Amino acid sequence: MAYSELIKSFGRIRTYLRSFYVYGFRHRDEFTEKSARSYDNERRRIESWLGDYMSFRQDADGRRVFLSVDSRSIPENPLYRAFRAKSFTGRDITLHFHILDILSSVGGLSITGMMDELSDRLSEFDPDEPPDESTVRKKLREYAALGLIKTEKRGRETFYVLSGDRTRISSWDAAAAFFSEAAPLGVIGSYIQDRLPEKFGQFRFKHHYILNALDSEVLCALFSAIGQRRLVTLAFRGQRRIVLPLKVFIGTQTGRQYILTWSPAHDRFSFIRTDRIDSAEAGDVFEFPAGLKARLDDFLSHVWGVTGNNFSRLEHIEMTVFAGEGEEHVVRRLEREKRCGTVVKVDDTHWRFSADVYDAREMLPWLRTFTGRISGLECTDARVIARFRGDFETLAQMYGGNNNAVS
Amino acid sequence: MLFHEIYGSYYLAAAAILREAVRGKLTGRELQSLVREHAFGESLMTVPDGLKGGKWRLMHKDLSTPLENEPSMPLTTTEKRWMKALLTDPRIRLFDPDMTGLEDVEPLFTPDMTVYYDRYSDGDDYADPGYAARFRTILQALRENRDLYVLFETGKNTRPELVVTPYYLEYSEKDDRFRLVAAGRKRRWTINLSRIIECAFAYENRNSRLIAAETDTVVFELEDRRNALERVLLHFSHLEKETMRLDESRYRVTLKYDRRDEPEMVIRILSFGSAIRVTEPERFIGLIRERIEKQKRLAAFPTDNAE
Repeated sequence: MAYSELIKSFGRIRTYLRSFYVYGFRHRDEFTEKSARSYDNERRRIESWLGDYMSFRQDADGRRVFLSVDSRSIPENPLYRAFRAKSFTGRDITLHFHILDILSSVGGLSITGMMDELSDRLSEFDPDEPPDESTVRKKLREYAALGLIKTEKRGRETFYVLSGDRTRISSWDAAAAFFSEAAPLGVIGSYIQDRLPEKFGQFRFKHHYILNALDSEVLCALFSAIGQRRLVTLAFRGQRRIVLPLKVFIGTQTGRQYILTWSPAHDRFSFIRTDRIDSAEAGDVFEFPAGLKARLDDFLSHVWGVTGNNFSRLEHIEMTVFAGEGEEHVVRRLEREKRCGTVVKVDDTHWRFSADVYDAREMLPWLRTFTGRISGLECTDARVIARFRGDFETLAQMYGGNNNAVS
Repeated sequence: MLFHEIYGSYYLAAAAILREAVRGKLTGRELQSLVREHAFGESLMTVPDGLKGGKWRLMHKDLSTPLENEPSMPLTTTEKRWMKALLTDPRIRLFDPDMTGLEDVEPLFTPDMTVYYDRYSDGDDYADPGYAARFRTILQALRENRDLYVLFETGKNTRPELVVTPYYLEYSEKDDRFRLVAAGRKRRWTINLSRIIECAFAYENRNSRLIAAETDTVVFELEDRRNALERVLLHFSHLEKETMRLDESRYRVTLKYDRRDEPEMVIRILSFGSAIRVTEPERFIGLIRERIEKQKRLAAFPTDNAE
């Protein structure tokens, strides 16, 4: 099959984009999931979509390709371009523009009327034969499902009418520019921006994880299932699991997104990373069991981030932090960064954070950010203290006590 | 359906080209320029050929088209549902979008479906009418290229008054805060919106030039244990970076960051513990070492609670 810039399914390109963007150290022969030719084609496509952001390095092992972007310096997520690369047939694009044009000229039409108009239009071209009626009918149904057209019954006939837009899109320019980057499924906002004569380009985004955009199709299916309270079958890492999706957990510091699910078979809450989900197929509507909402709220009040489950034991953790005079910012940090638990003043220079959580090990990275100020650390899970202490000792050895210790 | 050709670059390019063709103003050169503007790097090899003639049957070789109207496409249901979802977001108060036509639309998601689990809890107060008014003044100044008078409170409780040329509104997802990035008095200003007390259009435009933010580089080696490679690279993925493999489990990462964010960078690097070893620059190593030394003096980890 001849090479094309366009692709049929988005799933295939996710892995390559992720690898070029997150890792960027792999050479061609390390992409072993598919053939070398596949790699060449995907790399060429990505280069075609995102050429401005691609970098190359030649080293002893060969050439490396990577995507490097300071997402703070750009007004829009460049990875959205990949969503604009869906392949189509010549007939798709012919019908798209002619159907929308015909309907905006003549208003509602039956399938017979539409076929007549199309025959008339397409007779100007070589080849001049119109598409068959079933193809046009199928396209009209597809466009009705997308919301581009509406169907109306007039007598015994179905008429197709262009959907009317009453929304003044121009008034959405700044909101679309902002929420395209700062709300879930922002790629849809970027589609709306494509409709504007001019984009509002004066927002910038700090701590902005653009990679989450690649999970948009999965996320959209999950939101839909949450809204309709449907079970979903998730395909991930070679498994299939039937679960009730409850909430999407978005990391603003980790670059990861998770879906919190409840399994009816195991009565278990668990988190699954959305970038590992290949597909989410909606199943039956599921009646929320009595008491589940209260149990969910209780579970969430003891979750630090995205690990743990309702079968784990709650662990108690306490960290005492030193903050001297003029160091109130340290206390403010504790207050604003704690996700559960409490902060109490112990004396004039010490504050204690304490919480009961399902998985205290998940807190280790946060605890380490207070290195230099921790005057007390206790946890009912002894492994947490042991790991913290062991890691700190390694760190101290790594940096040594003199200027030549790190080499 | 998010991944669909109706949103695609080829359709966008075709619509822009056909718009000009309907107006009778299309030239071959313009056709090529519209493809370059709306489509991809290699699209010039396919889009013009597809459009002109029997393949897509939208335009004749003489660049005329049988279309009677400039192409336009109604909003899709998915787009409307996304817009409706935004109306449930507290930040929508900062904007003033037209809601007509969205009355009977189901939102694609609602705030209770998402949890920003590691977001700081002292974000901006979007419900404050004064905040929203100041935000809108800044937005208008950005649209109309107007300078702004601002009075704000600094972290040290001083209250400077300035006339600045606004350049961007910067939003941090982690902090849930907006900042105004502006130029004035020969320097670059980044002012938290929540600290702005007064904000109005200036009497005259000075059009001060924005000086680029000063950047620094930190280089560290990374030991890939407990999935540290992925955690670290994802965590820092929003920065300009380069990663090199040193051996089977060790990598060298070079990160570029805004110099004013250095304390934050120190903390973020420390959060990975001994999985990361900073190797350059010496000044940054000194900052890490300082915290380690302070911690050693505090001796906080009781041995009786250990394994």
